Parts: sequence; structure tokens; C-alpha cells
Amino acid sequence: MTRQKVKMAFIENESSRKATYKKRKRGILKKANELATLCGVPVGVIIDSPYDLTPEVWPSREDMDNVLSQLQRLPVMDRTKKMLNQESYLKQSISKASETCKKLTKENKELEMKEVMFDCLSGKTSPSRIEKNDLGACGNVIEQYLRNLNRRIEILSKNDGASSSSVHVVASTSVAMPIVELGSSSTAFCDMIRQQQIQSNMNQNVGSLDLNQQQW
Amino acid sequence: MVIKNKGRQKIEMVKMKNENNLQVTFSKRRSGLFKKASELCTLCGAEIVVIVFSPGRKVFSFGHPNVDVVIDRFLKINPHHPHQNNNLQLNEACLNAVVQDLNNHLTQVTEQLEEEKKRNEDLKQKRKDDKKSENWWEDPIEGFNLRQLTEFKCGLENFKKTVTTEASKYLQATGHNFYFGSSSNATFGIFDNDGNTNSESDLFNHRRLVDMNTFSGNHQNMIIPHPSTTPYGNNVIERFAPEHNQNQSQYCFKQERASECDRQPDHPPHYRHEYC
Repeated sequence: MTRQKVKMAFIENESSRKATYKKRKRGILKKANELATLCGVPVGVIIDSPYDLTPEVWPSREDMDNVLSQLQRLPVMDRTKKMLNQESYLKQSISKASETCKKLTKENKELEMKEVMFDCLSGKTSPSRIEKNDLGACGNVIEQYLRNLNRRIEILSKNDGASSSSVHVVASTSVAMPIVELGSSSTAFCDMIRQQQIQSNMNQNVGSLDLNQQQW
Repeated sequence: MVIKNKGRQKIEMVKMKNENNLQVTFSKRRSGLFKKASELCTLCGAEIVVIVFSPGRKVFSFGHPNVDVVIDRFLKINPHHPHQNNNLQLNEACLNAVVQDLNNHLTQVTEQLEEEKKRNEDLKQKRKDDKKSENWWEDPIEGFNLRQLTEFKCGLENFKKTVTTEASKYLQATGHNFYFGSSSNATFGIFDNDGNTNSESDLFNHRRLVDMNTFSGNHQNMIIPHPSTTPYGNNVIERFAPEHNQNQSQYCFKQERASECDRQPDHPPHYRHEYC
């Protein structure tokens, strides 16, 4: 089926509109049926338009009457709590979508700043080249990382208290952290890292303490 | 063909067995049904009401123009009175305009959301692809041992200072405000509204300028790769020039766990105190 983006507005073309109405009405009734069957719940639908002589009622008039009487039995509060019309429904949808979007934007910024941070640390770029508007976000990411590091240090220090042999670093040939400096050429650190890696045959021993490799 | 999500597989049209799945399915499908109903109204100007009871016997309903009007008409209560027509038409026109606006807004937000989602995927994919990076500190920190953690922490503290300096420079130039850190007691350069940096930042700045001059001639000294496989601590001492070591330690000692970073107890600690 070809998927063309449909503009969410009243269809001006009469025949288009009629055709769309017929298809979508069928689709809605099918979905309503699936919902009712899969979840075993009462569902009632009424659809009316200039294209129908009588309003379409699903599942049937009797069933609809049942649904409506069930509805009537409920106290007003319960009945109207989740009652929506176009306006309220759309407003709700907008606010939900906005929320999700905001969260994603924040997460994306953090991911981006993490890359910037790594690039600085490995010498690919320098802090002076960070977008000025991003400095704040970058700072936040650094703070977060430091908090996590401190937490891990605390945990490991506690475990360490028992035996020092658990810190099996002797065989480790991990590289010293590059120091990011203002004014110094970034290649200095890259070179340092690279040379050490080549020479010491980098075997990144990450220790046997915790192999739960969660992505930060 | 890889089955990306279970939803695109055929399912039996019988009541679902798993309670949790049933609840989730109900939520999703009800939401989808309402969406379809809303679209039908917008596109074709139909009137509709959808009433759904949840497994927990709560009721959800959607109706256009509203639930009660359509139900009443169905039950043959309150048929349209001719003399009300003008008012009705005006109201309808108003409502339609409002709804159209909302629809446009929703479309816009949805598009934005899709863009962010795509960007999110791209960023995560990029990190996955970069995973074979040679930099051990880019791996998840859960795999670090204590030495690595403290080492990385020192490096990050350094980096943080550099970034703070950049920020304060920018601030002084433009008068913008930055708020770093999530808590009010973060020492990461909190600036007041007048655009003045706090004294801590000035100290960093000042120290930075001093260090810049100190370091500029020492590049060659720093790059001393050591092939030694002696214990971690010794390696570090031999890698850096003494002057550099000293300054490095000054940044590390800002933290409580200063001892972890202290690798050169013999060096005169005259820079240390300012940052403790």
C-alpha cells in the first residue's frame, strides 16, 4: 500500500472525501472489533455523516444500548473523567508529544556533549572549540559523569576494604589520562596516547570487579 | 528479514491470555482508535462517538462534536431545533477553526518529535560504531577498576576546569549567564546576574593563565612514553615531567579523595593548598 502523508485538514474534494470516509469508517470499525475481542471489553461506536442515510452503529443497536446503560450507571465523575472531544483530545496529544520531544532533545544534547567530551579528552578537538552555547550542557554532562564515577569509586572502595588483591591492576597497562590544557596543542595528547598504546601493547584490563557492562 | 518488533506479526483474534500484555494492548489500541476517530472527523467532517470500557471497568470516550450530543441524537433525545441553527453554525465554525489550529500544531510537534527520534538513533548508532575506540575511558565505567576510576576522575576534573574557564571567558565577553551542575552548591562556575564570575572562577582563570605560560615550553617533556610494565603508580610518575606532575596533582587535590590521586608525595606541595 502506498503511504502518502495526508494533511490533517478537511478534504475539500467531495469525491475524495467520500472515498476516504468509506475506507476510514471501515478501518475504525475493524479496529474497534479487534480491541473488543483482544481485550474482552465492551466497546460501542456510532458514526454519522451526510454520506450515510442512518448512522452507523457498532456492534449493533442492542449492544450499543447495553454500553450506554452501563455508561449511565456510572457516577458522573467517572463518566466524564476520560471523556474527550476533538479539542481536548488534540490538546492532550500535543502536550504528550511535546513532553516526549523535550525529553529526547535533552537526551540528544547529552549524547552529543558526551561525544564532544570524549573528543576533547582524546585530543581530537579542544575545549576552546566547543560551541559557546553548549558549554553549559557540556558542564552538566561532566558533572553527571563525575557523580557516577564517585559512586563507583565509593562502591569499589567499600568492596576493596576486604582484600586488596581484588584490585588486580598490577598486570594492567592502562594508559594515563590525557590532560586537557588550554593553549596547548591537542596533538600532544593524541601522540602521547598513541605512542603509549603502540609501545605497551594495550591490553585494556578492565578489572574483574564488575562485569555488568551497562551503557552509561 | 529481521523481525524488529513483535507488533508486526499476525496475532490471533481471541482474548489475550497474559494479563499484563492485555492491559498494554488495551492502552495502545484504545489510543490508536481514538486517533483514528479524531482523524476521521477532521478529514471528513463526520460525527462520531467511541465508548470503551477498560479491563478495570473505567470508561474512556471520544466524541465529535461531543459525546453527549451524539448519544442524545442516537437515543432520539433533543433533535435539532430549526431556530437554533444559526447559533449552531457559528459555534461549529468557531470550533472547526480551533480544531484546525490544534491539528496544525499537532502535526508540527509530531514532525519535530520524529526528527529528534531519528537524531537519537543516529547518535546511539554512532556511539556503537565508535565502540572499537582505543580510548579505554570511553567504555562504560562499570567496567573500570578503582585505579582507572580515580585516574579518569582526575582527568575529568581537569577538563572541567578548562571548560569552566572557557565559559567564564565567554561570559566576560558577552554577559550571558551559565548555570552548570544540577545543584545549587555545584562549584562549576555559577555566575550571578550581573555577569560577574564568582571568585572561584577567577582563581581558576588566574591559575590557568599562569599554567599556560608554564606549559607552553614543556610539550616535549610531557611525551615520555614508558614501556615499563611496572605497577600503575610508577608508570605515571615516569611518564610526565616533574613540573607537569606537580601541576597535575594540584587539580586532583581539589577533591576529598585526594589521596587516590597523590602519586608524587615527594614533590613540594606548594600549589596544593589553594584548591583543597
